[in-house]
Amino acid sequence: MEESRRKHRILMVSDFFYPNFGGVESHIYYLSQCLLKRGHKVVIMSHAYGNRTGVRYITNNLKVYYIPWRPFLMQNTLPTFYLTLPIIRTILIREKISIVHGHQAFSTLCHESLMHARTMGCKVVFTDHSLYGFADPGSIHMNKILQFTLADIDHAICVSHTSKENTVLRSGIKPETVFVVPNAVDTAMFTPAPTQLARDEVVIVVISRLVYRKGADLLVEVIPEVCRLFPHVRFIIGGDGPKRVRLEEMREKFSLQDRVEMLGAVPHSQVRSVLISGHIFLNSSLTEAFCIAILEAASCGLLTVSTRVGGVPEVLPEDMIVLAEPAPQDMLRAIEQAIDMLPNIDPQIMHSRMKSYYSWHDVAKRTEIVYDCVMDSSNKSILERLPRYLICGAWAGKIFCLVMIVNFILWRLLEFFQPAESIEEVPDMASMCNHEDDN
Amino acid sequence: MKNGRDSHDTYKYVRTDTSTLDKVIDVHDVYVKRSKLRVLFSYIGRLILLANMSLLLIEKDKLSIVSFWRLFLGVVSAKLLQYKPIKKVMVDGSVTFPPINYIRSGVAAIHIERPPLFQSLTDCGRIDRKFIQMGKILKPVLNECVTPVTCYWSLVLVLRDDDQLALVFQKLQPPIKILVPVWKALCKSTNLEDHSHSLK
Repeated sequence: MEESRRKHRILMVSDFFYPNFGGVESHIYYLSQCLLKRGHKVVIMSHAYGNRTGVRYITNNLKVYYIPWRPFLMQNTLPTFYLTLPIIRTILIREKISIVHGHQAFSTLCHESLMHARTMGCKVVFTDHSLYGFADPGSIHMNKILQFTLADIDHAICVSHTSKENTVLRSGIKPETVFVVPNAVDTAMFTPAPTQLARDEVVIVVISRLVYRKGADLLVEVIPEVCRLFPHVRFIIGGDGPKRVRLEEMREKFSLQDRVEMLGAVPHSQVRSVLISGHIFLNSSLTEAFCIAILEAASCGLLTVSTRVGGVPEVLPEDMIVLAEPAPQDMLRAIEQAIDMLPNIDPQIMHSRMKSYYSWHDVAKRTEIVYDCVMDSSNKSILERLPRYLICGAWAGKIFCLVMIVNFILWRLLEFFQPAESIEEVPDMASMCNHEDDN
Repeated sequence: MKNGRDSHDTYKYVRTDTSTLDKVIDVHDVYVKRSKLRVLFSYIGRLILLANMSLLLIEKDKLSIVSFWRLFLGVVSAKLLQYKPIKKVMVDGSVTFPPINYIRSGVAAIHIERPPLFQSLTDCGRIDRKFIQMGKILKPVLNECVTPVTCYWSLVLVLRDDDQLALVFQKLQPPIKILVPVWKALCKSTNLEDHSHSLK
């Protein structure tokens, strides 16, 4: 049964990839590595980062195209609608791609790639990694773009059931086309400290970007109260951002310099060493689709205290996490409860349980099922697909149809001036290496 | 003597590979087919420029800023549509074996020939030559290049003590099936050179 599974040729597309570090970046990297191990061909496409442009090969011959389109806002390429069609078409043909898998709703490269891939008749999959609102102008705009992209998609993946609900409501796609495949954690990298920490002093670790979304303002309210009520508790805060100033001010105001340690930005490779210096991990996010950070903390044997937002309640069992409403009083209550639970926590047992709960190989297996479903779906011509865009809105629907028709015409022009036969296919790296070894 | 040929819509590849007692001749010729459409466009560009200049001469009493703009646009269109095709690129990896009592290093020569632009006026084509010492070549590499609109293969030489890669085909983008035999031959030649150095 294992040997008979289908092999796919997948193009992962996102504006967010190495050398950036983050949840989306890690997800793409680990998923691609595991899919490669399962015998699929995976190629990644992102925009150039500084001098990092062109074709690069990373671990296990994972090929990455850093196309020379510079980011213009928050690591996103400039939205051009049609200018990326030639390069995306060339990559899809030369790598013989069968499935295009886009990541993250905020990535313009992802949206354009999915649009061009659908025009060319490729199967597409989209993974949404974040939750978005409905009321503010930014969210309204983003939701409309998502509606356009997902109008003609084969299947979508969300990282939690809450995220699935959010995506379905925002984009209007059918819930049965959305799969839930949670993130995972590299438990080999995030291991507990070899010796258990002494419990005479309780160390609470916070590692996050210090921005509004991540609840940095809540921390400012909570930390002084915790320090007042629990004299044996101290904090380690890793991360940077615009709210760092507020935390520094709080530290000065309440004279907590010896009880609150600010580390600044922590490189991803050093996150584990910071985590294992604490007993409790505090997450104060105001919105989270999944939260890989609490997985990493649990894998290192820390008890987690987190706000009950988004998909967080789905991530860990009740004996590993204490949930609280995003309000200072309730967070105080949760921290008190966590301190009481500490004597019952065994980091090694927690780590073993995390190993059994989450694994990137499992994520790859489940994603493979989505790919198989996508490949089984029927091919439709542009005329059959256009009505899906019309239901996106009275005016928006017509604009979306026009955009797709123009895209189709441009594609046909490209086919005339540069036929697909003139684009050379790339030999597979693995087979080339075998050929060189034989020679 | 081994010969090889290959053909493509735009390129034709001919290889001459001869071994004698005192030398190995290994020449790779890549012929570029002239594009009739581009020749037509280049003539159209020149016609536009000629027409603009004639109009300027006719209207010499009534010159205005528009006339100069027209001339400028004529020059720009002639320049953009200008077609100076490369006729042939030759990669010569021939190696001459020295007599036993002294060593002479082989030389790789990369020749480029252009067709006469105005056949009736001149009969010579411009030839650009570039010579690279075989010993300076660390490794020939097939490189994938990515531009904002396309991807293509190129054959480059990694040179000793040089940060820059040397392009074998400066202005052409031959297909991979033409690049591979040239690359293999260069790899073989550089291996021979490494071996001869190790025998010193």
